Amino acid sequence: MTNGAGTRSGFTLIGMLNVAAHEFRLRIRAGRWRWLLGTWFVTLLVLTALLRSALVSSGQTMPGTDMFGGLMLFMLALALLVVPSLTAQSVNGDRIRGVLATLQTTLLTPAEIALGKLVAAWGTAVVFLLTAVPLALWCVAEGGSAVRVAVGLGVAAVVLGVICAIAQCLSALFARTTTSAVMSYVVVFALAIGTVVAFALGMVLTQTTETRESADGVRYEYTESHPERVWWLLAPNPFVIVADAAPRAPTDANADTVMRLDPLGAIGEVARSMRQPEPQEVLPDGSVRGNEAPVWPFGLAIHVVVGVTAVIITARRLRAPYGTISKSVRVA
Amino acid sequence: MGSGIEASGVRRTFGDVVAVADVDITVPPAQVTALVGPNGAGKTTLLLVLATLLSPDAGSIRVAGYNPVVDPVEVRAHIGWMPDVFGTYDTLTSREVLEFTAAAYRIPKRQRARRAWELLALVHLDEYAESPVHVLSRGQKQRLGLARALVHDPPVLLLDEPAAGLDPRSRIELRGLLRALAAQGCAVLVSSHVLSELETTADRVVFVDRGRSVSAQALAELPGAAERRPWRVRSLDPDALMVFLDHHGTEHGRPDAHGVEVLLQGDEAAAELLAAMIRDGVPVVSFAPAGSSLEAAYLAMTEDRS
Repeated sequence: MTNGAGTRSGFTLIGMLNVAAHEFRLRIRAGRWRWLLGTWFVTLLVLTALLRSALVSSGQTMPGTDMFGGLMLFMLALALLVVPSLTAQSVNGDRIRGVLATLQTTLLTPAEIALGKLVAAWGTAVVFLLTAVPLALWCVAEGGSAVRVAVGLGVAAVVLGVICAIAQCLSALFARTTTSAVMSYVVVFALAIGTVVAFALGMVLTQTTETRESADGVRYEYTESHPERVWWLLAPNPFVIVADAAPRAPTDANADTVMRLDPLGAIGEVARSMRQPEPQEVLPDGSVRGNEAPVWPFGLAIHVVVGVTAVIITARRLRAPYGTISKSVRVA
Repeated sequence: MGSGIEASGVRRTFGDVVAVADVDITVPPAQVTALVGPNGAGKTTLLLVLATLLSPDAGSIRVAGYNPVVDPVEVRAHIGWMPDVFGTYDTLTSREVLEFTAAAYRIPKRQRARRAWELLALVHLDEYAESPVHVLSRGQKQRLGLARALVHDPPVLLLDEPAAGLDPRSRIELRGLLRALAAQGCAVLVSSHVLSELETTADRVVFVDRGRSVSAQALAELPGAAERRPWRVRSLDPDALMVFLDHHGTEHGRPDAHGVEVLLQGDEAAAELLAAMIRDGVPVVSFAPAGSSLEAAYLAMTEDRS
C-alpha cells in the first residue's frame, strides 16, 4: 500500500531545507515585515547621518571608519533586542498551536526540524543585517574599510545565529512561551551586561596587595589588578567579539590632531589590553604595546560551542516517543 | 506489511495520573475499528502511544509490524495520524499544507503537487486549494486534516474524533471514504463519540473505560439481536396503536410526537409484533430499534459509573 513514501533515512539536507523554506514562508506571511524592516532601516539611517554630521563638524575629513564603528555597535544592540523574539517561541509555540506533533509524526528527523527552523530564523536575522548594507557602503564611501565592514557584519551574523539557537533551545526546554521569551532576554542581558559585571567583579577578586618599601624606607601598600586573569569573562560579550574581530582601522594621517570617535575600535582595543599584564605601555596612536593577542577567537569559539550544543539539545527535545514529559506539556 | 495494529497490556501514566491502565486492542487490516469510551477513558493517550508520540510504560505494541518505541520511523512511514485538536498553518493554502506534508514524508518534489490535488479532490476541497487555511470552516479544516493523514498512502490510519465538527453531508462522505480505504486493505482505527455514526461505519468496536479495554467485538455480534431492548413504533392513528398494544399485552412507554417505545425480547418478537399490528389494521409508518445497539452496549458498559 505504501507507494508514496520515499526512502527513510536519517538527517538529509533536503529535509532540513524543506523545513527551513516552509518556516521562512510562514514568517513572511505572518509578520508586517515591510514596516518592521522599514523602521529598522530608517532608524539606522538617521543614526548614520547624525554620526556623520557630528564627526564632520568635529573636523574629520574621512569619517567613514568612525561612522561604521558607531553604526555597527548600534545595529548590534538593536539586533540583540529583535533576534531573541524570532525563535523564543519556536518549539513551544508550535506545540501550543498544535502543529508540532503532526510534524514529529512525519519522516522528518528531529535534527531536520530543529536545524530547519533555526536556519529560517537565522535567515530572517540576516535579512535585517543585509538591510543595513547600503548604510555600511555609505561608510565605505566616506573612507571606511570595506574589509572591516564585511568582517563586522559577518561576525555579527554568526553571533546573532547563536542567539537564535539559544532562544530556540529555551523554547524547546520550557513549556510556556512567556517563560522561554523572558529567559531568552535574560541570556542576551547576561551576555551583553553580565559579562562586563562579572569581569569587573573578577578584577576586584583577583587584586593582589603587597607591602612594599620605597627607596627612602617608607612602607606602603601596593595594590595590583590582574585583568589578564579574568579577561576571558569578557570574551563571550557580543560587542567585544564583533569589535575585536573587525580589523583595526588604519590610523589616518591626521590622527594626532583629530579626536577619534570609533567605539568599535575602542572596545576591541580595551578588550585586548585586558589580556596584557600591567603595567602597560600605551603607544602614541592609542594602542597598547604588545597588544597582539586577540580576544574574539575565544569569544566566537564559546559562542559556536554553545550554539551547537543548543541545537543538539533542541533536537533531542524533539525526539518522540516521549517517556516522561512535564505536566504542563500537551503533546498534541 | 498490512498487519494493522496489535497491542496488549498497554499502560501509560503521567506522574500519578493513570491515563491508560491496561488496554488490549487489535485493528485488523481491511476493517474499520471503532474506539469508544467516555471522556477521559484514555482514547487520545492510546492513540498518541500508537502514533509514536508517547512511549508506553508497559505493554507490547506492533503497528504495521513494527514496535513504535524501537522503530518509530518505520511506524511513522506506515501510519496516518489525525489528532483530535490540531493546528494548521493558517497563512498557507490547503494545497501548500498538503505539499509540505508530502515533502515531510520525503515524497519526491515532482509528485507532490499531483498528490495534493488528488487528496483535495478526495475530500472535496479542490475549490479551496488556493484559499488560506484560516478561511476554511471547522469541518473543512477537519477534512484537510484527514487529507494530510493520507498523504503517504498509509496502510494504518489513526483518526481521533474525525467526525467532530462535520456537517451531516461531510459525515456521510467521511463514512464512504473510510469504507473505501478499508476496502483497499487499510486498517482504520477511529475514536468517536458519535455512536450512531460508528454503527454504520465500523466493523468492530473496542470499548475503553477508565483506561482499560472493557470489551472488543464485531458489531454484528453486539448484544441486541436476541436481547430485550426498546423499539419505537409510530402510527398514523396513535390511539388505535395504544389500544392494540394494551390488548396485545406489550410493555410500552408513554406515547409522544415520535410514537411510543415498546420493550421486546429480541428480533423475532419484533417481527411477530409488526406482523400482528399489520394484521389488525394498525396503520404503522415506522418501526425500528430505539437507539442503536452500539448505544445500548455503550450505556450498559458505562452504567456502573456513579
